[in-house]
Amino acid sequence: MTTSEAKQKLLLYRGPVDDSDPQFRVALDYAKSDAELGLWLRQQTECYDAIRAKLRGIEPPLGLSQKIARRRPILFPRDWSRIGQLAAAILISASVTVLLMKWSHRGSRGVTGAQEIVVTGEVLDMTCYIAYNLSGPDHAECARVCIRSGEPAGIKTRDGKVYLLTGEPGHSVNAELADYAAKVVTIKGRPGMRDGFAQLQVEEIRKL
Amino acid sequence: MSFEPEFEKLVKLYYRDLYRFGLSLTASEADAADLTQETFYVWANKGHQLKNPAKVKAWLFTTLYRQFLQTRRHQTRFKDEPIDEMPADFTHVPAECVDRIDAQTLLTFLGQLDENHRAPLVLYYLEDLSYNEIAGTLAIPLGTVQSRIARAKSKLLQLLNETAKPPPKDDH
Repeated sequence: MTTSEAKQKLLLYRGPVDDSDPQFRVALDYAKSDAELGLWLRQQTECYDAIRAKLRGIEPPLGLSQKIARRRPILFPRDWSRIGQLAAAILISASVTVLLMKWSHRGSRGVTGAQEIVVTGEVLDMTCYIAYNLSGPDHAECARVCIRSGEPAGIKTRDGKVYLLTGEPGHSVNAELADYAAKVVTIKGRPGMRDGFAQLQVEEIRKL
Repeated sequence: MSFEPEFEKLVKLYYRDLYRFGLSLTASEADAADLTQETFYVWANKGHQLKNPAKVKAWLFTTLYRQFLQTRRHQTRFKDEPIDEMPADFTHVPAECVDRIDAQTLLTFLGQLDENHRAPLVLYYLEDLSYNEIAGTLAIPLGTVQSRIARAKSKLLQLLNETAKPPPKDDH
């Protein structure tokens, strides 16, 4: 090893903190036997110490540590078992909700795909019937006018069940039903149920 | 374990070192104080993830350095630089010359260094960290750390040397 090579190695040597670093060992040994190198090394470490002391002499602003401590974030301890319980509860709740929605959807199935039924009963003006319990021959003219004007129409069977009468989507059957207001007819159609209301999608009307 | 005394103890233990590191990186007292505070706030939120308590100091320095990089929006990919390419500059500055300058001048000189070279050099001077620990703290390869320290040290000593030179004599 030459003096120049040793200097190259010892350029980063800081003193005792680097004594255990094997990369400096050979060059340090060499410096012990080379007076000029030894002097250079001592000056290097003195310069290092002077710069280090200068930097370490810098003091933070007064009150910085108190400011940090005062403004520290307040953390809430995390209880992972409770978080797990909460996650499980949310999962179960979501599953139950999905099942209920499916069940509800099935229960409120529309007329699409439903089996045709035939019902016989009186054609009602649903507004007057539900609001004022008006039906029968005495109310026939009013019912006819109401149904023709677009008020909902229905049919009340002999066993007391009432269906809202509808046409296919986008098609009203009020014009056909108006002539049968308060009369007993037989209607073939597809039944459906939504939110507790029974409906019958009319396919054929027959007067008895 | 009580959180508050632990936090305050940690602040008292390391806030000076972190502030000096931050000041050496930014050359701004306000920025250094902000970086120091932010570092401890990150610790308050994420410190529990550190499994080895012996690495708290290195974790804090790494966090401060990351905060610094984030604020500067200057994250670059680190290329490994072989140590053999270190400059063979043996500039010597007498310790008395260093003693004559004030800390602010020294910080100004540090501010003139390449940003990527500044952090390893400051850790080299300020902290009793091995080169491996400095590399780990800054998340850069060991060879890169050493070459950057060597280059930065050489540049710093040049700046100090120019300051130490006597002013040119006036012939008139």
